[in-house]
Amino acid sequence: MKPYFKFELSQFITNKKNIAIYVILLFLACFYALNIAPSYKPIERVDAKEIEARYTSRESFIQNYLNDPNRFQGMASGGLFIFPRWNELDKKRLESLNEGNLKKYASVTSKWYTFSNDLITSTGQYYYSPGYYTHGNLYASDDGNYGYSYSASRYAGYGEGKSKLSINVFEERTALQTLQRLLESYLPMILIICCVFLSVDIVLKDRLYPSLLKGFPISDWKKLLIKGAVALIGSVGIIIPISIGLIMIGIRYGFGDFGLPVAIYTFVGEPTYFKKGEFLNTSMGMYLLQNFIILILLFALIISLVLLASMIIRNEFANLLVGAMFIFNEIFYFKRGIGFFEEVENYPTNYVQVGQIISGYRNYIYNSSALTFDKGVYVLGISTGILILLIFVISKFKRYKLV
Amino acid sequence: MLELRNINVQFSGRTILKDVNETFHRGEIIGLVAPNGTGKSTLMNVIMNYVKPNSGKVVVNEKLQYKTKKDEVKIHEVISMMPDQSDLYNHLSGIEHLKVYCSMWNSDTDLIDKTIKELGMESYVKKRTGTYSLGMRQRLCFAMQIVSNTPIMLMDEVMNGLDPNNVNIISNILLKKREEGKIIIIASHLLDNLEQISDRIFLFKDGALVNSAVVSNGIGKSEISTVRVKGLSDIAKEILINQFPGTNVLPLSNGVSLIDVSSFSVEELSQLVVFLHDNKFTDFNFGNVSLGDLYTMFYIKDNTEINTSANAAGLAEEYIRLKQELEIVKRAMTIVARK
Amino acid sequence: MWKLLKNNLIIERSSKKNIFAFIFVALFIFGLAIYMENWDVGNIPAQKTSEQQNVLSALSLFPDMDASADGDSSDLYKNLNEQQRLIALQRISANLNKPDMFAESAINLAKLREETFQLEGFEEVEEFLPTFNENKLESIFYERLTSLDIPIFTDNLTYYQFLIFLFGILGSIWFIFLAFYTCGIMIEDFNHTSLIKGYPLSFDKYVAAKGISTMSIILIFIVEIFLCSLPLIYFRGLGDPSYPVAVFDGNYEIYSIAKYIGVSVLYMIFIAIFVILLSLILNVLLKNMYLTLFVELFLFVLPSLFPRLVSLLPFNPFNYINFTDLLDGKSLELAYPVGLNSTHGLIYIGISIVILVVIANLFLSTGKLKRA
Repeated sequence: MKPYFKFELSQFITNKKNIAIYVILLFLACFYALNIAPSYKPIERVDAKEIEARYTSRESFIQNYLNDPNRFQGMASGGLFIFPRWNELDKKRLESLNEGNLKKYASVTSKWYTFSNDLITSTGQYYYSPGYYTHGNLYASDDGNYGYSYSASRYAGYGEGKSKLSINVFEERTALQTLQRLLESYLPMILIICCVFLSVDIVLKDRLYPSLLKGFPISDWKKLLIKGAVALIGSVGIIIPISIGLIMIGIRYGFGDFGLPVAIYTFVGEPTYFKKGEFLNTSMGMYLLQNFIILILLFALIISLVLLASMIIRNEFANLLVGAMFIFNEIFYFKRGIGFFEEVENYPTNYVQVGQIISGYRNYIYNSSALTFDKGVYVLGISTGILILLIFVISKFKRYKLV
Repeated sequence: MLELRNINVQFSGRTILKDVNETFHRGEIIGLVAPNGTGKSTLMNVIMNYVKPNSGKVVVNEKLQYKTKKDEVKIHEVISMMPDQSDLYNHLSGIEHLKVYCSMWNSDTDLIDKTIKELGMESYVKKRTGTYSLGMRQRLCFAMQIVSNTPIMLMDEVMNGLDPNNVNIISNILLKKREEGKIIIIASHLLDNLEQISDRIFLFKDGALVNSAVVSNGIGKSEISTVRVKGLSDIAKEILINQFPGTNVLPLSNGVSLIDVSSFSVEELSQLVVFLHDNKFTDFNFGNVSLGDLYTMFYIKDNTEINTSANAAGLAEEYIRLKQELEIVKRAMTIVARK
Repeated sequence: MWKLLKNNLIIERSSKKNIFAFIFVALFIFGLAIYMENWDVGNIPAQKTSEQQNVLSALSLFPDMDASADGDSSDLYKNLNEQQRLIALQRISANLNKPDMFAESAINLAKLREETFQLEGFEEVEEFLPTFNENKLESIFYERLTSLDIPIFTDNLTYYQFLIFLFGILGSIWFIFLAFYTCGIMIEDFNHTSLIKGYPLSFDKYVAAKGISTMSIILIFIVEIFLCSLPLIYFRGLGDPSYPVAVFDGNYEIYSIAKYIGVSVLYMIFIAIFVILLSLILNVLLKNMYLTLFVELFLFVLPSLFPRLVSLLPFNPFNYINFTDLLDGKSLELAYPVGLNSTHGLIYIGISIVILVVIANLFLSTGKLKRA
């Protein structure tokens, strides 16, 4: 078994397609680090000027109406009720920024976010940060609510934790935080697409050299197992070119640390119309570990799928199609809120957006409580197990020939 | 030991192998001779289980059979088939191919260098096989099988594209492997070479394996039993039979006539030489019935290959007639060693 | 030559790759219809609600001021206020099914928005509003709609409406699909060079026959797209073939659906020929199916990765490969905006095709065809 493993591994490493994939990833990682990361504009910025502008405008309103006999009428009363508290928080934020006391800034900002979010959701008179209201976004207030609650939780974590704080940490620009953000957007998709490409020909390449490989004294099942293992190792190896991009970001913006808080949208019990989830903090290390585990399971699932397709359909184009259908399937049936009615947590294809699953964002938009790490491990594990079982059974058929 | 028990293979109504029953023992080189498309490769494919026989079985070492996939793996540990040169990895070097085969069968790594030396491959074995000539690729495929060192080896057209020197080298290696106790089954069209190295040679006829020794007793042995004359006319044949009554003349379709001299004394042999010389026949030689002769007798009629998909009954009759002719040749005696 | 074409088509007919490609196209069409249904694409009330929120959010950035015509607030503030009113009007007319009111407010809204681009302080509210290009397209769209007296509120899943949406997507993925499909066009042949070299016909004829048979199959894909959309006629009706589509083809124009689809199909055909030739040449150069694919995809995304290239190299055919973005005038929204003309696009792609043919002819003397 070991010689065959070495054989497959050396073929995998020297395969031009695979080398190209790693090179392209390296290029994209560097492109991101040099081009895209610097131009990242977070919606929730640390902007003293902006805080000051709001503070000043509210302060002038308060001063204006403080001694007005009609001050408790209409809108003014509302403003007088809310603004002083709001300004108190903003003032503390400004002070701590000026002092350079980032821990204090974090604690106060957390309170500010909680206060603002409650205000906006209960009165409907105020608005979240402008960045949520981009043209074409139909779910701005949902996103805003999520964003503010998320920020409240993580800032609380910054205030309480031991991590070294900086503006880059607050704006999630450090290497680890960039990784976190990317895992919640398009990075898992890219990784899984690479996995498909790496494994697409691992069985079918042998068709070109039949008389060389047919007589090897190793069973088809073992060959398939080893091929799958090699593909998995290769897929995990994608981390290397991506790490280089992260290192480049880390040099510029700091690396962050594994103790940084990551706010996770969690549920206790079932979601209802009124009862929403809450945000609890986990460590960056735990967050990344959970992502990694789900990703590995996804890789295993995809590789098993491709192996099975290779055995049954025996066409590389078909393998690509099967992989693509698995990856993009969710886009077609996804509907916001549908998780309340359907058991979406049981579809393995729902776990493709790994970061969003772990962070709970998927639960938020599906209005479900079940798309969690544990469920993900369970569903993906079982699905992979079933596929591997199918592979085993087919490979044991007398009539089945691998090459 | 390798046993073939009642192997029958049919494709689309055509019988390719019919009731093949044979046992091969340790330390044997078996030659398989037949025109293209008559079942040589099919037999090898059956032994490797690449083709399933319609009936019959392959038994290895008296107990292993192709019953389960596990058995197949076990059998493949002891039987290997020489790979086809077109299937080599063009981007890999020769030595990389050898290392793969050596490690796959867990054999002694010293064999690699030894085989490279024996085959004289040192100058190119580290280069990519994409740069090799046909002969180099063929030698590499042979080397790969040698390096796998399985007790039973199947080689289909191993001498393909090789010059006489390399044929020689490979033959010597095969003889050495036989001494080591291996069973080697070779399918080849180099009849002289096959005759030299094989312990037993089988011809294919109508899907059946025919042992050439049964057909011609003296084959491969060092004896003068036949004089081979080219261009012997019918008139000369008549005169010869009159002059040498104890003989028979068998004309072959390739223009060669076989004169049975198994009962001749040395003086009679000399007189025959004089006769041939006086009648202006200069292209003749002494020896015994060769494999080439057998091949011609079996397969070539009127300078055209017999199409084995022709009428089976007609072919059977033909076969019986040829067998009767060969009975004549069978009466050759062992007298003198061949030059 | 005809025999060769016939032979090629017989081989291709039963090729697994083609069978799967046909299945994929069909599934894609059906999946797209389901997607449109799920995401409620073109749901006007939802769109207008979100637009209204955006404007209100923009307004919240300003201190409260007197927004009346002779008030002391900035022009931008007044403008945004008026926009907000019009959007609200649109929302109501959508909910109460008053198409005339909707269209009128749409036209006025577009005019207002066009003015905002000139107003001071616009950069602060830029992200809340549609781009100049998007606005202009909407403006001419509604103007034409009202002048033609066509129903404003339509079912987006009727046959013609669906086709507009479909061809709107195809621009982004047609090239990608074709790159996948053709990336191995010559690879099989490299494993049988001794076979091909011995053919009793010139090599360029052989390659041409291969290109033509591939092109025929791609044409069948295009027909399949129309065929697979046909079931919508049964479910949702035919729709209105005279419905206008606003495009930018160098100028802001209105195309009929027929013209829009016609131009799209023309682009698809040109792109197909382009990709076939590119794949042919890259196959010979790189001798690897996946490397060919990666190079083609890289060239395709290059203008997106480096938008500066679009204005620097306006004749780069890859600027025009995404014909949907081209017709949507997306090139005007780049950091270095450039107005790309769709007719020019066809010309540049055509020229590239000619260049590729010349290169292919030079390359593909049989000597270049060696076993990988």
